[in-house]
Amino acid sequence: MVDSSLVRSAVALLAALLVSIVGASASFAQAPTPAPSADSSSSSSTQIPTPPRTPENTSPAAEAQRQQVQPLNNAPVWREVRSNMPGTTTTTVVGRETNVLIQPQGQTWRTLRNSDISVFGGWALVVLFLVIATFYWVKGTLALHEPPTGRVILRFTWLDRFIHWSTAITFSILAISGLIMLFGKAVLLPLIGYTLFSWLAVLGKNLHNFAGPLFSLCVLMLFFNFVRDNFPGPGDWQWIRHFGGLISKHEPPSGRFNAGEKLWFWGGASMLGIIVSMSGYVLDFPNFDQSRQTMQIAHVIHSIGAVLFMLGAMGHIYMGTLGMAGAYDAMRTGYVDEEWAREHHAYWYNDVKAGRVPVQAADPRVVRRTPAKA
Amino acid sequence: MARMKFLCDAERCIECNGCVTACKQENDVPWGVNRRRVVTINDGVPGERSISVACMHCSDAPCMAVCPVDCFYKTQEGVVLHDKDLCIGCGYCFYACPFGAPQFPQTGAFGVRGKMDKCTFCAGGPEPDGSPEEFAKYGRNRLSEGKLPACAEMCSTKALLGGDADVLSDIYRQRVTMRAARGTAATPPWGWDAAYGRPDAQGQPVPNAAPPAPAAPGSKS
Repeated sequence: MVDSSLVRSAVALLAALLVSIVGASASFAQAPTPAPSADSSSSSSTQIPTPPRTPENTSPAAEAQRQQVQPLNNAPVWREVRSNMPGTTTTTVVGRETNVLIQPQGQTWRTLRNSDISVFGGWALVVLFLVIATFYWVKGTLALHEPPTGRVILRFTWLDRFIHWSTAITFSILAISGLIMLFGKAVLLPLIGYTLFSWLAVLGKNLHNFAGPLFSLCVLMLFFNFVRDNFPGPGDWQWIRHFGGLISKHEPPSGRFNAGEKLWFWGGASMLGIIVSMSGYVLDFPNFDQSRQTMQIAHVIHSIGAVLFMLGAMGHIYMGTLGMAGAYDAMRTGYVDEEWAREHHAYWYNDVKAGRVPVQAADPRVVRRTPAKA
Repeated sequence: MARMKFLCDAERCIECNGCVTACKQENDVPWGVNRRRVVTINDGVPGERSISVACMHCSDAPCMAVCPVDCFYKTQEGVVLHDKDLCIGCGYCFYACPFGAPQFPQTGAFGVRGKMDKCTFCAGGPEPDGSPEEFAKYGRNRLSEGKLPACAEMCSTKALLGGDADVLSDIYRQRVTMRAARGTAATPPWGWDAAYGRPDAQGQPVPNAAPPAPAAPGSKS
């Protein structure tokens, strides 16, 4: 048994469909732009032709004509609203961008943050961590080939180390709090619950906001302190070609810093440091009348830069601690064994021995304070 | 269960900002924050329209999607609310929202953001309905009292409608149908056309010859 009301409504629906098609074709016939060929791919089994898709003619004449055909059609108003043309919208409510009715760029920002940066960035961090862990598992800590001599050379002055560790500590605070903000909701929140996670995030956000400007100061100091020894020098190209001897057994000779350290200095600490600092300032101080779109763009740059920075830092931290024996002691105490210097930085070792490195030749204060350690 | 929605009829809004005031008054909104605002498009130009905008209580809410602490939740009636105890003031919801609904009272130097504040559809927050704590953080919970949002209830021209989406759609559909019937030359001009005249072929309004006859009492739209 078929319900008669069902039949009636089906007939009414078909009739309405027919009327709308006739109406649509009539309005398209009146449209001043010629319609391109009808899209046949989407025609369904009911054989109803789909009206052709024409780019809407938005000239004043066409708009006026549309108002004649469709009185009170306010599509032009909404088109104007979405275009965000300056000066078309006003409001009496005081505030930044209160006259903007719709800001569609936020949708793009949402997609970039939630679907691109967090997904690709997150997996990049995980994959690099696994690669480094595997590398450590296979190769272990790179030890010296010869026994240490017991004679030490000053590699990093107290200023070098102060700047390095200030940068490192602020970087770690920023990285951890940044990771909490980007991935905490997916990773940490299910584990520790809403209240504790929110508390942690508040702490992280405030630390991030205050450590950020300090970090950019550190980046500046780092640049001017270490730039002298980071210009391209002899052996750099060979070092890159041999990948620093990580794959092969032989490590090519290098100056005070090898090509890998130089790349980290220029591309990481300096370039990424400046990129995340500048974009960070835009986000950290919302009181300079910057627009929402400026902050959306700054956030995208900031988070991409930060993920790259963390990827580089993972490599740097690994080589400076677990990866290579003696590297951590160098930055902790400032001194390296002569054998370490000879094996890893042969050109620098030769320079020091020949007395061509003034700081290392004489810094009595440091020598007095730090006991010689093998 | 009803699905709560706001709808602003641009043909009716006269930019009186009554909704803005009603909202501030009803909810004791923090200083510097306007949960609702009226935006005028092409102010002073023929064809100008005003629209009252606040949180649209989106089905796929961008604020909810980007919040790093997941402080947003959606009621069974589709109202998007948030928990100020969890909010960290990062501003991500403000970046994501197309309508500029989330706002931050400034709580420190250099524009440090406080807890986000936005329209609650007069539905309060996670605290017990009608409690002083809820009022202090989110404003009046009118929905729990069986009332609709103050802005829509106060609207003098009934341009701003708030309530069950099905009911709102029916009202608006009825209005549009009646307007279409009145849009022909044979009928007296309506709404903006009654004030400024019908647009001619160039879109410029032609002033009406005589004031239109007042509508019959009790007629809608």
